[in-house]
Amino acid sequence: MSFLGGVDSSNGVILDPECALIGESVRGRILSFPFGIGSTVGSYVMYQLKLNKVAPKAIINRSAEPIVATGAIMSEIPMVDDIDISLISTDDRVAVNAADGAIELLDVTERHVVTSILRNRGKILILKRSNKVGSYRGSWAGVSGFVEKNETYEEAARREIAEETGLGDVHLSGRSSARSFRDDDNVWTVHPYLFDVSSRTVTIDWEHDDCAWIAPGELKKYSTVPGFHAVIKNLLEQTNS
Amino acid sequence: MHLTRDEEKVLAGEEGGGRQKAMELLVALGDIFGAERLIPVKSAQVSGASFKTIGDAGIQWLEAMSEGTRASVPSMVNPLGLDMRRWRSMGVSRDFHDKQARIVAAYKSMGLRPVYSCTPYLAGYRPRRGQHLAWAESSATVFANSYIGARTNREGGPSALASAIIGKSPEYGLHLDENRLPKVEVNLPSIPEGLVPLAGYLVGKTAGNRIPLITGQALVEDEHKSFGAAVAATGAVSMYVSAGTVGHRKASDIDHSMIEERVTISSRDLRRCAEELSGGDEWDLVAIGCPHSSTRELGHMAKRLKNRRPRKDCDVWFCTSRMVHSSCPQHVATLRRFGKVLCDTCMVVAPIEEMYERTATNSGKAMVYLPTLGRQKASFRTTDQLLEAISR
Repeated sequence: MSFLGGVDSSNGVILDPECALIGESVRGRILSFPFGIGSTVGSYVMYQLKLNKVAPKAIINRSAEPIVATGAIMSEIPMVDDIDISLISTDDRVAVNAADGAIELLDVTERHVVTSILRNRGKILILKRSNKVGSYRGSWAGVSGFVEKNETYEEAARREIAEETGLGDVHLSGRSSARSFRDDDNVWTVHPYLFDVSSRTVTIDWEHDDCAWIAPGELKKYSTVPGFHAVIKNLLEQTNS
Repeated sequence: MHLTRDEEKVLAGEEGGGRQKAMELLVALGDIFGAERLIPVKSAQVSGASFKTIGDAGIQWLEAMSEGTRASVPSMVNPLGLDMRRWRSMGVSRDFHDKQARIVAAYKSMGLRPVYSCTPYLAGYRPRRGQHLAWAESSATVFANSYIGARTNREGGPSALASAIIGKSPEYGLHLDENRLPKVEVNLPSIPEGLVPLAGYLVGKTAGNRIPLITGQALVEDEHKSFGAAVAATGAVSMYVSAGTVGHRKASDIDHSMIEERVTISSRDLRRCAEELSGGDEWDLVAIGCPHSSTRELGHMAKRLKNRRPRKDCDVWFCTSRMVHSSCPQHVATLRRFGKVLCDTCMVVAPIEEMYERTATNSGKAMVYLPTLGRQKASFRTTDQLLEAISR
């Protein structure tokens, strides 16, 4: 987003045709965008917005750059950066704590989920979610479930494997960093694990209709839950290297 | 970023709101660029001086900042939108003048020197090799880094003002040895007469954000001035490396270890560029002095024009700094027969669009800004071609 030419400094209305919020005003709202671009005069435009009392209440950036950071300080607009702005939706209520560089999404609940990929001699297990589960019915996924109170993520992963596959002899081979994504009023934070198992004999429970052992390359033939390809890619790359 | 106890005090507002805001700016920029600390600078040079570029918001910001703050190192200002003495004859409106006067008053009250020039190094503030600076003007930054071998990032107007007040700058970018190595070698085997600015124009485009190493040419100081200004206008770099400068006296001083590409710009490329930038043959204004002319350049032009008569079919601006202007009254007297010798301003930051539509210049940098910021139909000509055109 460029403030010079991108925002009308008299009323705070967004003019930039590239911006999804064209026609809306930044006045009195918390403005979230990836990063600033364009002329350094943009810092003065932010100051003009402040003088005209149509400045945003706060700014959230994925990464700060000099033009917006300078403008925010000149205009005394609280600003935080290093935020995954894909988790924020227009019209969310957001609390910004610029002193700590943190934000809180007030109407959004974060839910922690584990997903485990089981591997046996180069093939991985995928499961087709049944019509009885709460989300993503009919999609293929790993062994997944909510993290319950008083258990660690790894304990949750092992419990779900036992419940959903009946496999007992599992060996933890890798994990990758948690990924979060927004879905309606929830932020799902997925904790991925990779386990090697000694057997391909799986007993599925009510949560799944079907299961398959496949080579990772075959995954594109299946309709999966969102982000599943990336989870597998990350896990396998990490353990190979 | 690690701050000293004294710097922490300024940041906490113990020395007033203006100094606090200046420190906040330096710390925020230091954090963005991964600086570990602030380092002292010998001088600051502040851009954002013309009312045309910073507008009413700029005036109010400078007036707010000027309350209770003073520059703590020698600090100069970029060109204004007008010549403070000759603005009426330039054709600048009273309204523009009054706004510009508020900007000048704010800078003065903060103790910035009345050097309104893109060439502070020709106006009594010449840095030395190795000194750290916080300069904002792109052409001055590239000259200081490349020709003089001083060290400065290309500051924004507010950050340069913050450095003027605090006397320090975050240590990142061109302050550090490892970021001053050339990555692309540009060979200039021959440059046709008058086309040094266009060599800079093409080098900047080729270099992008990589520091170029210039080979094949030994430029003189005035050529470095116009060459570097164009490099910084078309490229995103504030430095080039070439042998024969104060920074790199000998070719053997130059570290080639990071060179990833070699490019040649031929005299044919330069002639083609001149052709592409030639524009129309009729002009309302001939504008010379971007960057501001040196005493030597004014002398060269005065000598060429001495025994000729003015043609007077368009306006002519020779732009320079007050200090150079007062250093050579005889040259100025000769040039004044052919046009206006203006101080404190230039064709890039003056409200030229309110006065002219078609402008010819010998500057590679001005060829970038005249069509955009100045809304002009711009024509590039060599200095000699322009002198020929304005005289008979």
